[in-house]
Amino acid sequence: MGRLDNRVAIVTGGAKGLGKAFCFALAKEGAKVVMAAHRMDEESTKAVKEIEAMGGIGVTVDVTDEKSTLQMAEETAKKFGRIDILVNNAAFYYGVGRQLFHEVSSEDWDRALAVGAKGAWLCARAVFPHMKKQEKGKIINLSSEVAFSPTKGMIHYVTSKAAVIGITRVLAGELGQYNICVNAVAPGFTDTPASWTIGNVAKFDVGSIPLGRIGVPEDIVGAVIFFASDDSDFISGQTLLVNGARRVN
Amino acid sequence: MGILDNKVAIVTGGSRGLGKVYCLRLAEEGARVVVADILEKEAQAVVDEIKAAGGQAIAVKTDVTSEEETVRMAEETVKKFGSIDVLINNAGYYYGMVRQPFYEVPVEEWDKAMLINAKGNWLCARAVFPQMKKQNKGKILNIASEACFAPTKGFIHYTASKWAAIGLTRVLAGELGQYNICVNIIAPGVIDTEATATYLDFEKMNTSSVPMGRFGKPDDVVGAVVFFASDDSDFISGQSLLIDGARRVN
Repeated sequence: MGRLDNRVAIVTGGAKGLGKAFCFALAKEGAKVVMAAHRMDEESTKAVKEIEAMGGIGVTVDVTDEKSTLQMAEETAKKFGRIDILVNNAAFYYGVGRQLFHEVSSEDWDRALAVGAKGAWLCARAVFPHMKKQEKGKIINLSSEVAFSPTKGMIHYVTSKAAVIGITRVLAGELGQYNICVNAVAPGFTDTPASWTIGNVAKFDVGSIPLGRIGVPEDIVGAVIFFASDDSDFISGQTLLVNGARRVN
Repeated sequence: MGILDNKVAIVTGGSRGLGKVYCLRLAEEGARVVVADILEKEAQAVVDEIKAAGGQAIAVKTDVTSEEETVRMAEETVKKFGSIDVLINNAGYYYGMVRQPFYEVPVEEWDKAMLINAKGNWLCARAVFPQMKKQNKGKILNIASEACFAPTKGFIHYTASKWAAIGLTRVLAGELGQYNICVNIIAPGVIDTEATATYLDFEKMNTSSVPMGRFGKPDDVVGAVVFFASDDSDFISGQSLLIDGARRVN
């Protein structure tokens, strides 16, 4: 008996890091999970096997490609008959680097915005007909605490995460009439393999965090489950920071 | 089996309206509930309802503007249930409030709103703090309003007092994080309650400004209360969450 029994959830960027944690947490609450990943390397394949054991499936998707996102939605509907939840988690974060704004390459800028912003829009478009038909749906976009901070570096990543907030608000406005809720979760610096490519996670100065530590993936899953569940049925367009109170919104 | 099994939750203003709905749902999720209210008879009725459904609850007569009574509220809770895990600072001055332009609000009304909606939250937080500190865990949830996020007309005292509640939420989050106490605030939109009906006619309300096409019901708000009371929000603190069908965004 979970809070998401019989729901069907797609998680993009679902085979690694935070996305993987979301997949397992949603599955534990009873959802049938579609673990959508860009590349099926050894780690991703292992994660897909685990989600299959929990009743889910893995699909390959390039969220920057419209056709690919449509295929993802079709495969989901074909396998499970519906789409209740979309977690737009895919992002260009792993290996993004912490360059200053004048050092970021134009190609990296395009990639960050393509995956983080356009990807969220395309995936929402792809699942929309299904959610509209059901007259209910939940879309959860991953923003970041960096959009609320005077961050140094990663201007392309920060911009993509701020764009996600804009996308969230417009989608909330346009999809409310179909009873589709769209919200954003903005984690603080979280201990994932991708974060280690940005800096030494163990040396992060936790003095700036009232709760005295940086987050782990398990800290973020509760907010995702909440926004995926019926307990948030009248909440839409909002952005919730999950960061130990380091920044407030 | 609920997600608040074994937790002890205090709900101020728990005897009617939204507060009553919070009490019933928290109990349903397994919490032992303290219905803290100035209205003793009504609070006892909520306790009886919880007990009839198989839950545990007590009523404690509490005026949230009295330091002495808030301290007693905390003491009675610990005496009866042994801990304080959750404080829902729901008591507020809202019922019967008149919608007037800012230059017509009586000074006494301003003072009353600030006293109950701001100072009351602070006093209740102070009262439960020693116990939550000892437990090295706690959840405090304050209640703001969508009015804070809108170009509201009228209710300047109410809206200012609810922004004050957001301010104290942020400071408490900053100061209490080291004790693993999370402090957050929810901001409901227009919710169909007896208090709201004192100044609005729901039949005649225009819902076109609400993307989700309707105004709220008490049941729309209670899910967020459970979330912020539960372990699912253990790394979330200092935040404000609107519950208003996307009418305003934050």
